[in-house]
Amino acid sequence: MSFVPKETIEVIAQSIGITNLSPDVALALAPDLEYRIREIMQESVKCMRHSMRTFLTTEDVDTALALRNLEPIYGSTSNDPPQFKRAAGHKDLFYIDDKDVDIKDIIEAPLPKAPLDTSITSHWLAIEGVQPAIPENAPVEAPSEIRKSEYKEDGLPVDVKLPVKHLITRELQLYYEKITDLTLNKPGSIPFRRALVSLATDSGLHPLVPYFTFFVADEVAQNLNNLAVLFALMRLVRSLLQNSQIHIELYLHQLMPPIITCIVAKRIGNRLSDDHWELRNFSANLVASICQRWATGAHFYYCMVPKRAMRRFGHIYHNLQPRVTKTFLHSFLDPTKALPQHYGAIKGIEALGSRLIRLLILPNLEPYLHLLEPEMQPEKQKNEMKRHEAWQVYGALLGAAGQCVHEKVKMFSNLFSPPTRVTSRGSGKAVIAMSGKRKASTDNLMQQQQQLPPMKKLATDGPGGVVAMNSMLVDMQGSTGGYSSMMGVSSMSMARQISIDNVPGREVGDQQRKLSSTLAQAWKDDIDTGNLVSSVVELFGESVLPFVVSNPEACMFL
Amino acid sequence: MEDDKIVGYVTAFLKKKGFTQTEKIFQEEFQHNKSNTSNSLLEPDIANHLLAFSQLETGPARFHDGYSRLRTWTYSSLDLYKHELLRVLYPVFIHCFMDLVAKGHVQEARNFFNTFREDHEMMHLRDLQKLEGVLSPNHLEEMEFAHSLRKSKFNIKICEYSYELLLQHLHSTQSTTILGIINEHINFQVTPGQPSLISDDPEAVTLTGSSQEAANLINQKEIHWGLLEDSLEERLEKAGALLLDSEKGEGEAKEGENDETKKRSIEGGKQGGASVKKVKKDKGGSATGKSAKPEASTVPAAPRVKPELPLPVIPTEVEQSVLEDLRNRVQLSSVALPSVSFYTFINTHNGLSCSSISHDGSLIAGGFSDSSLKVWDMAKLGQQASSLSQGENDTSQNEQIFGQGGGKRQYTLFQGHSGPVYAASFSPVGDFILSSSADSTIRLWSTKLNANLVCYKGHNYPVWDVQFSPVGHYFASSSHDRTARIWSMDRIQPLRIMAGHLSDVDCVQWHANCNYIATGSSDKTVRLWDVQSGECVRVFVGHRVMILSLAMSPDGRYMASGDEDGTIMMWDLSSGRCLTPLIGHTSCVWSLAFSSEGSIIASGSADCTVKLWDVNASTKVSRAEEKSGSANSRLRSLKTLSTKSTPVYSLRFSRRNLLFAAGALSKSG
Repeated sequence: MSFVPKETIEVIAQSIGITNLSPDVALALAPDLEYRIREIMQESVKCMRHSMRTFLTTEDVDTALALRNLEPIYGSTSNDPPQFKRAAGHKDLFYIDDKDVDIKDIIEAPLPKAPLDTSITSHWLAIEGVQPAIPENAPVEAPSEIRKSEYKEDGLPVDVKLPVKHLITRELQLYYEKITDLTLNKPGSIPFRRALVSLATDSGLHPLVPYFTFFVADEVAQNLNNLAVLFALMRLVRSLLQNSQIHIELYLHQLMPPIITCIVAKRIGNRLSDDHWELRNFSANLVASICQRWATGAHFYYCMVPKRAMRRFGHIYHNLQPRVTKTFLHSFLDPTKALPQHYGAIKGIEALGSRLIRLLILPNLEPYLHLLEPEMQPEKQKNEMKRHEAWQVYGALLGAAGQCVHEKVKMFSNLFSPPTRVTSRGSGKAVIAMSGKRKASTDNLMQQQQQLPPMKKLATDGPGGVVAMNSMLVDMQGSTGGYSSMMGVSSMSMARQISIDNVPGREVGDQQRKLSSTLAQAWKDDIDTGNLVSSVVELFGESVLPFVVSNPEACMFL
Repeated sequence: MEDDKIVGYVTAFLKKKGFTQTEKIFQEEFQHNKSNTSNSLLEPDIANHLLAFSQLETGPARFHDGYSRLRTWTYSSLDLYKHELLRVLYPVFIHCFMDLVAKGHVQEARNFFNTFREDHEMMHLRDLQKLEGVLSPNHLEEMEFAHSLRKSKFNIKICEYSYELLLQHLHSTQSTTILGIINEHINFQVTPGQPSLISDDPEAVTLTGSSQEAANLINQKEIHWGLLEDSLEERLEKAGALLLDSEKGEGEAKEGENDETKKRSIEGGKQGGASVKKVKKDKGGSATGKSAKPEASTVPAAPRVKPELPLPVIPTEVEQSVLEDLRNRVQLSSVALPSVSFYTFINTHNGLSCSSISHDGSLIAGGFSDSSLKVWDMAKLGQQASSLSQGENDTSQNEQIFGQGGGKRQYTLFQGHSGPVYAASFSPVGDFILSSSADSTIRLWSTKLNANLVCYKGHNYPVWDVQFSPVGHYFASSSHDRTARIWSMDRIQPLRIMAGHLSDVDCVQWHANCNYIATGSSDKTVRLWDVQSGECVRVFVGHRVMILSLAMSPDGRYMASGDEDGTIMMWDLSSGRCLTPLIGHTSCVWSLAFSSEGSIIASGSADCTVKLWDVNASTKVSRAEEKSGSANSRLRSLKTLSTKSTPVYSLRFSRRNLLFAAGALSKSG
């Protein structure tokens, strides 16, 4: 009947000495008790409001009792919440466990701290309606929250767009897990090769491309010591690039960093026998194919690509190759970098084409070789590993310069007559000993010759390269100014340092000045081919002859 | 067959009443009449009435069933008439509940209440909370709210067709119980024509009892809401004409200065910078000149009235300072918002009950629940802070200021009350403070002597609010004893007692012309009283909970009231109607303030925000509301300024339109 149960009335009666209260009396008193409590609470709420509070305190109840000429409730206050315990023998009866405290303990206890006195501070809540961002003011986000609540009160619901879930089917998840497992654990197995073929040809893999992208980036960062895994990851990227069913170009900006890491990383693999040079070559060719296919597509396939495709990809990737080139150049010109990093940079620039070789490598060739020569001498560089790295860099430079010379000579000879087969075959077999100035072991020399044939193949891809070079030349004219000025400064500073170390005579000084001027202008299209060939031969000796011996008329310049 | 039923019912009735002899005689007479067949015919109407009367005595279930049928019928009626018929449900619900309690069916009353209370919680939550505790006939007599409900009638406006629909339903279903309640406790105002739209009906929330008619009569009285004659604003208006002549002379002087600046700018770069600064100063001067002109043009719009009270004489110094403030007042509008200076009380331990700021912001008073009144002099605080900061950094400065509790007090302590201090009010000049307390007294303090001058006794219960009049010397107080009183500083007895509210009078505010005071009450009404006659001249109905704050516009045309739920109502004093509710706050509105020229309202709330509202947009929207019928309340809220967990206790615009705000820092523990 009432919120106050009958048992409460009986307990209160017992506490004041009435032991035989009739149940009917308890039932009649309960609603009256509820009514009185409600009256006092309503008065308490009024006192609470006029004390400018939104929560009820015991003082409000005491004030309400005083309004009705009732005695307030006396007692000492404690900060501990009341501890209710269940009475023994009764299921629904609880009591407050009041401990008996000796008055001696209360007297001897130290006094608590006096509360701080009330004080007042002032600050600007707003200056001409604008709330300044001072510590006393609330953060700026609060007004927007209040405005949102205002909108809701006005009946304007706020449409919050939740992110859309990316649903991957069960089959695609299994496919992804299988390929990632093969890549990490069985990189050289036949199932992995089949997986690569599947990645390169299957359609419907587009939902997995972002996951493969992050997979490659994460694993490259974590497996720089594992050459096999890195090779497998790069092959996976190549397969994705070959797949025409998926739109891999949307994720190129996430794929480029791990590929470039495999080219110019300081240390790849953890054993001396690891052939990380091949990985750098492989990755450099990947970058070249990406740039050729997407970054320079607007120029290379100008006649074939429709305007829609140009509009679609041109404005997104037009700066891809300059950014890649800049990365390689910084790595090449930085003396503090390790030699394998220089090797990777040289290979990267070489893969991008002969024009970039003439633009970026040849002007810096002579000062770099002067710095590199001490590293190649057994007398000066005791570490055999370092000497090996130096010879690898020398081979990369020789390959790059040779490719460039070959392009120029080929262009020159096309004007007169095609090369003959018999001549090139015969001259390939001839091996002439190098000059005494550049001594090298037979093994290193053999390594160089092993690398020459693939460079030849790349250089002689076809007449398309020539067309690309011409168009790139015209487009790159605007950006060559900055490059040449920067390289000129660095080249001159390097040359000066070398001249200080070595005391040149007149003859040597004149020769060096001539070489510097020739190579510094190698980027120009109308450079004298004869001067270029003679300069390169001067630097590299007879080892560069296989690139030019196919044309017997060129021997007259030597 | 019917004869046997009638005999059975009559016999049962006689048994129930204990008339055994009458029963025997009736049975013998019935047997005797049975032999005479010609006399045994009864009229069928009498039989039906007897049957219906017997059904009345079946028990308390008829209240529940009758109300349930009425409710079902009302909710399933046509939408055109539904909103009118729904208004009938609340009084029927309340009176069914109270009748059940009066007849002693307490358990059935509680079940009835809990079953149907949800329908009415949105509109009448506070009333339901009060009635929920009524559980015995004695409580009905003791609770004045229930007692007044049972003795008075609800007034419900309804169209003719809806009224006829209701009567037909009640008669067709033979709900005599519900019909009796409606006849006894509801007074229908039947209007011909179509049912009115909900938004067009300002009386959707009606007063309980016969005071609705009294309120309608009161609201038709004439009031003179204009400004005082020979006031300072009028003198400024007259001085404005003189300013126009002097501005011409000043203009000529400025032209001469411009010539000099042109010559200097030719000379060189450094002097050019100086000339730019001078040009800026001249622009500032011309801007103030321009702002003074529209101010003078707006004042004559308000009509003038004579004061009904003998007003005190204003000293010359005070008059000159007021005139200077009025000349240099910042012109506020919806695009030029005011600057807000906020005073934060720290370490109040939930004891701050009220706060008040003097007109120039130099004095801050705080009333506390430990019966003390403390006044801070911000000018002295500023001097102390500047002297301390000369040789120390900010951190130690703050530490020393806060740690000075033991050494020096930064405030003046006024002690004399024996209960919590609920209100404090500065005099217009700032030399006196009034405080009201739970001990039923009002005390007058002097800020110069730092002493209690007078103790005013007259209220019988806690005094909730006290306010100085705009010209000083008189003040008004409101109390728990449901009265508001008007006092003069030089007499300890009240001059007027305003009685008429049905519950506590929670706040009081003077009109700009000092001829009227407004009071807000826990009975959810705001009343306007004539100071001279002591009569109630306006009743404003529209709030749903107790009113906590009031503000008067400077031109005397409008009034704003804030309540417990965060709603602010804007009222037109002449017509007694609500222009627009200002919705935005989420908790109690502790304070309201109009800017000095009346274009901006500032509201401070327990939700730790200060909101600025556009008065002109509110009045415009009210006119557009009559055409379109819908209002977008977001347009009226200009700005929301959030504090960092500091409820805003009081607001005040200075004479130059700088807004002062005060609040107590609440700890999140």
